[in-house]
Amino acid sequence: MTNPATGNLLDELAKLPPAVAEAYQAVADAMAESFSDEETALWAREGVAIGTQTVRSWESAVEYYRVSPEVARSLAFASFMQWARCGTYLSQDSPTLAVAFFKASPSIVTNLRPQYIPRWAGLGRSLYKGTWKSSTLAARFFEVSPDLVRNLPFWDVEVFASLIEALSYKSYDVAAECLVLGRDVLPAMGREREAFLSMSRALTDSSWREVKACLEMAPRALQHVEEGQTGRFLRLGEKLAKMGLRDTSRFLYDGAQALSHVSAGSQGHILDLCEGLLASTPDAVPPFLKSLDPVLNRITLQQLDQWYQHGVELLNENPESGIAFFKIESNTSESMLETLSSSLDLERVKGIMRLYTRALSGENIEVLSTAELVRRQIGWVDQDTAATDGTKVYLPPVIDNYNDKAQNFAWFKVVATHQVSHLEFGSFQFDFVRPANVFDDRRFQMEEAIQARIEAIRTATAEHFQLLDSDAAPSIEVGEGPGGTMRVYTDIGRFLSLFEDRRMVFDLFSVLEDCRLDYRIKTEYPGIRRAALDVQGDALAQRPRIEELPLQEALIELLVHMSLDRFEGLPVPQDYREEAYMLARIMHRLRTVRASIEDTGEAALRAYEIISRLQNEQEPEDEFQPEDLDDPGEFSEEEYQALLDKLQAQMSEQEGEQGEGDPYESPEPVEYRGDFKPEMVQLLTKLQMDQSEMGDAEPMTQEELEQLLQDSAELELDAQEGDVDQSMAMFAQNIMKEAGVPPPSNDPGRGYGPILHDDDAGGELEALEPKTFVYDEWDFRANDYKPRWCIVKEKILDEGDPNFYNDSLRNYASLLAHIKRQFELIMPETWRKTYRLIDGEDIDLNSALEAWADLRMNVPPDEKIYWRRNRVERDVAVVFLLDMSASTAEAIDEGRHSVDDRDAPDDPVEYMVWLRRRREGLVRRHYKRIIDLERESCALLINALESIGDTYGIYGFSGYGRENVEFYVIKDIEEQFNDKIKRRIDKVTPLHATRMGSAIRHAVTKLENQDAATKIMFLISDGRPQDRGYSREGVEKEYAVHDTHQALLEAKRKEIVPFCLTVDKAGHDYLKTMCGDLNYEVLDDIWALPERLPMLYRSLTM
Amino acid sequence: MVEANIEMLEDEPSFKEFAIEEFLVRSEPYYRAVGDELELFEAAYEQHIPVLLKGPTGCGKTRFVEYMAWKLGRPITSVRNEGQDMREGEVRVPLVTIACHEDLTASDLVGRYLLDANGTRWIDGPMTRAVKAGAILYLDEVVEARKDTTVLIHPLTDHRRILPVEKTGNIIEADDRFLLCISYNPHYQSALKDLKHSTRQRFISIEFDYPPVDVEAEIVAKESGCDEDQAHALARLGEKIRNLREHGLAEGASTRLLIYAGRLMQQGIPARRACQVAIVWTLSDEAELQRSIEEVVYSIFE
Repeated sequence: MTNPATGNLLDELAKLPPAVAEAYQAVADAMAESFSDEETALWAREGVAIGTQTVRSWESAVEYYRVSPEVARSLAFASFMQWARCGTYLSQDSPTLAVAFFKASPSIVTNLRPQYIPRWAGLGRSLYKGTWKSSTLAARFFEVSPDLVRNLPFWDVEVFASLIEALSYKSYDVAAECLVLGRDVLPAMGREREAFLSMSRALTDSSWREVKACLEMAPRALQHVEEGQTGRFLRLGEKLAKMGLRDTSRFLYDGAQALSHVSAGSQGHILDLCEGLLASTPDAVPPFLKSLDPVLNRITLQQLDQWYQHGVELLNENPESGIAFFKIESNTSESMLETLSSSLDLERVKGIMRLYTRALSGENIEVLSTAELVRRQIGWVDQDTAATDGTKVYLPPVIDNYNDKAQNFAWFKVVATHQVSHLEFGSFQFDFVRPANVFDDRRFQMEEAIQARIEAIRTATAEHFQLLDSDAAPSIEVGEGPGGTMRVYTDIGRFLSLFEDRRMVFDLFSVLEDCRLDYRIKTEYPGIRRAALDVQGDALAQRPRIEELPLQEALIELLVHMSLDRFEGLPVPQDYREEAYMLARIMHRLRTVRASIEDTGEAALRAYEIISRLQNEQEPEDEFQPEDLDDPGEFSEEEYQALLDKLQAQMSEQEGEQGEGDPYESPEPVEYRGDFKPEMVQLLTKLQMDQSEMGDAEPMTQEELEQLLQDSAELELDAQEGDVDQSMAMFAQNIMKEAGVPPPSNDPGRGYGPILHDDDAGGELEALEPKTFVYDEWDFRANDYKPRWCIVKEKILDEGDPNFYNDSLRNYASLLAHIKRQFELIMPETWRKTYRLIDGEDIDLNSALEAWADLRMNVPPDEKIYWRRNRVERDVAVVFLLDMSASTAEAIDEGRHSVDDRDAPDDPVEYMVWLRRRREGLVRRHYKRIIDLERESCALLINALESIGDTYGIYGFSGYGRENVEFYVIKDIEEQFNDKIKRRIDKVTPLHATRMGSAIRHAVTKLENQDAATKIMFLISDGRPQDRGYSREGVEKEYAVHDTHQALLEAKRKEIVPFCLTVDKAGHDYLKTMCGDLNYEVLDDIWALPERLPMLYRSLTM
Repeated sequence: MVEANIEMLEDEPSFKEFAIEEFLVRSEPYYRAVGDELELFEAAYEQHIPVLLKGPTGCGKTRFVEYMAWKLGRPITSVRNEGQDMREGEVRVPLVTIACHEDLTASDLVGRYLLDANGTRWIDGPMTRAVKAGAILYLDEVVEARKDTTVLIHPLTDHRRILPVEKTGNIIEADDRFLLCISYNPHYQSALKDLKHSTRQRFISIEFDYPPVDVEAEIVAKESGCDEDQAHALARLGEKIRNLREHGLAEGASTRLLIYAGRLMQQGIPARRACQVAIVWTLSDEAELQRSIEEVVYSIFE
């Protein structure tokens, strides 16, 4: 106390209330330890400064001294003084503030960097507005500060403080409550805090009361939202708030509620939609979110897009009705939901429809969406009508004709049955020369007559030009009139070309054929009669009125009506009563199970002969009288001829008297019957057949095909779309492609001529290098082996990443467990004797003696006196051959549509769906190639095989040319399973061609050396064998197929069981040849490979 | 209660018990020949050539053998009094049918020693009995039996027609009327259960398949008693379902199942339901496949 400065200080302290001095005294010694004398003095003086600011600031000073030692422990002197000065300023404004500041300080300074201290003090200060309430708020801020600072980055504390300040302008009470709420809620919010704060900030301007509600709501609401999406969700709220949305807390609640009902991964998509709405009409967002939950209960997420899109369109027209739509307060919205929820996607019933059509037709039919058919551009253009091209049935992708799912499905079924009936009842089997069943055959006479006429013209022309050599008569003229021989590539074409108006006869042919089929369906499939009648009834309702059509069309429409099972009260023009009745009789004659496609032809011929002789003129409406045509009487050829003669006579009379009448127009199509194109189907089939036969006939050239297409009545080309010739050429090319005709070669010298066996030259090969082997090859034409023809090079596959193997096992975990269980059931049991059986191989001596003794004792003996060995020991060696040809690089079917960004759809809704899928990584999975599935299956198989201990080897094969058949070792049959093998699987990649025969022979060699009771060679391929000089796609397939067949037979002869599994859907045709009566399987669904392969192996060895 | 018991006792159970080699097919079983299988079998029987019947399940193989046993032994069935001794010149052809399974061993077929009060006693197995009695021995699904049974089949099926009984040290020459007949379903895909060529080539093979629609309709009508339309619809259903073989169905709907469905319908079960329980659910457990077959059923039946 000798220090004068100290004495001075004490004097000054004495002026203040004694509590100050006491506080000083209590800590002075402790402070002296932390700071130098000089510093201590400055510290003490600052206290006095604080205490002397205002009347009540001595309280602050007390607090200052009290906390000083603690604070000093964390701060260097300079920072300490800075802190102290902050307190001084605060006490200047309000001692209460300063007290709170000092009180909070000890726990703050340990968490806050010193340079932030003034800013922190500033935050508190900013809340103080000179009023009592504001000072309480500011003090409250300091109170909660330690928690805030400890849990939040300082930046967020600042933002929060400014939010509180903004609120304080509205209400101190609310601000204070929010302050406390914030302390509790904000820390848990994590990364989304920033978004939440800026949303709240936006709220203070418009509806500050909501801030508190949001804070209260937030923790509960946000837990439903996916972590990655919370930020977007809150930003959405912010934008809405900025745009003046009142009840944001409601939005938060409803939104979170709605999102919680959406599966994880799709929330992003919903937010996409919200953002889309926000851009146009923010007001629609809350109703949309609010409705989302009930809406999603009724329709799927995919369908939601449609509903949404419709709502957006409405919004653009009229915001009010748009909002009503999203609130589901409009009829449009309700009925759309109704429709959507009852609509049926083809995708969902495709599997069932496929099996159904296969069952009905007995053909290997594929069911595809009509969109696919249109995409191929081979003449079918309408996306909404079903069709068939003979091997595939195309159905519309979505059906929403009815407000009931079951009804929509029934529609699908009726349509599919109708399409299949084309196959089942032979619509495409039209044979020009096969006699009809229920009609006389007039078409032969007709053709003869026409030919005679042409001949006459030809001779006349020849004479006219005085050409001596009749062979040189210009054959082009043949194409002019009907019946030209050049055009009759197909039977149906031959028939149709008999008529002048090809379109009309084709329309008649279609109507009559559909009538025949619908009749057949109703008799053969009584079960769908009712549904078919419903569909027909609906179709009838959409037909044009007969009275309004010109005569020819009216009569054809009459036929259409009758074909739809409507016979009563049909309007018939009274002047043409006889004709109408004759048409009805013709049609009725087809309504029997005996009628064939040729009968349809004959019926069409007759109908044409009648209708074409009439003028296509509008009859006055009162001419039409309703008539019942359900029983028009029996058709008779004589009466028909009489009518024809009469018409002919009339025609000759009228000649030159009247105009031509209206040009003929085809009837409106009947939607459910789809596109019927028999000529196109026959054409495709024929092209394909010619192709595979390498027939004697010259293959059709593109020019010929174009000509043919031009003549066809089935092809309706929209001339506006562009140059007709050009699109015709494109069609022709597409059709050729469809039929598997190779595109014309650019080398004019060669043309189509196949370059076969270009390495035929050169003879036997030598295997010189190590690990190479030479094998014979079977030449089916020579019916003998080509000796030493192929060199197989055995290579060990490179090693890659073992994770592929592990990942595969993980991805298929549930399947793996299932397979494992199945395999464990066939676990080999050792040769172990089981005793005490009632039946067995021999008597077990011990039990027998016991029983014997029992008998002697007159006690009933135990019957169980036999022993038996358990089961045969499992002794299987197997070699798996994996196809590593280039074609296995093909992406699997479903991926065809969306592979990369270039494929991104234009339509915004579709784009969003696409984007979402992509985000979910689905698109990536769609990338999967055939080989990937082969590899995965391989991994699963290894796992299974290891569990039962069969001897196995896995090899891949590919190659290029006969000197270079590559045979890759993935796991050699002698090799133990190890990490190297895992790594090799990763390196299984698509390489070159597939020369199967030699690969099989080498695999057989491997197996031959094995000493096992059962030997199996398992071939997994994705298509037919092909290689240079082995086969070429579309040119010569037999050589390769036969060699492979031979190789498989060799295996069989060596007591090896070969099995072929192919994932080529077209596999049935050549596998029959390739495998003969050996086992094979065509896997329709490639995705099933990982599951099917081990199971197949299991059943093969059970 | 007591009365009821007495009544029950009066209602004696009616079953007949035969020794295995004495079982005769006494009344004509219904069999509708599709091809020349009757003539073939008769010829083989006369010539002592064993017969292999190939074909999917439920297509009539067993019925065919039954029918042949009846037909070949026909004279006896005309005898009213079954208990009587054989008349002169009559031929009895008993039918011994053994359903093979994977635990069926050679000793199950040939016979074994059993213990009795005085020691052990030899009991002839069904094969031995059939050989002695001159029966048609029908081994159903022969591939299911264990491999050692083939040892027995071989000497019986060539010119020797003998059955060596290893345990007793005897050799039995087969009765003149004895014929071995086996059945085999080639649709099994098991490498371990294929019939060996050395075995196969001791038989002539008669292939069976499901009959054509019209014939099958006739069979279904006859066997189930349902009317012609229903029988025809069932036959068509069978045809359609068989189209699904190799598309997920291991085996098509057998004629037997069609008959079952027909019988249920005959009992007043609605057609769709009858097909569902008799055919759809029997054929597959897989939901999609079931649904597809059901749709076919719904199309054909109202």
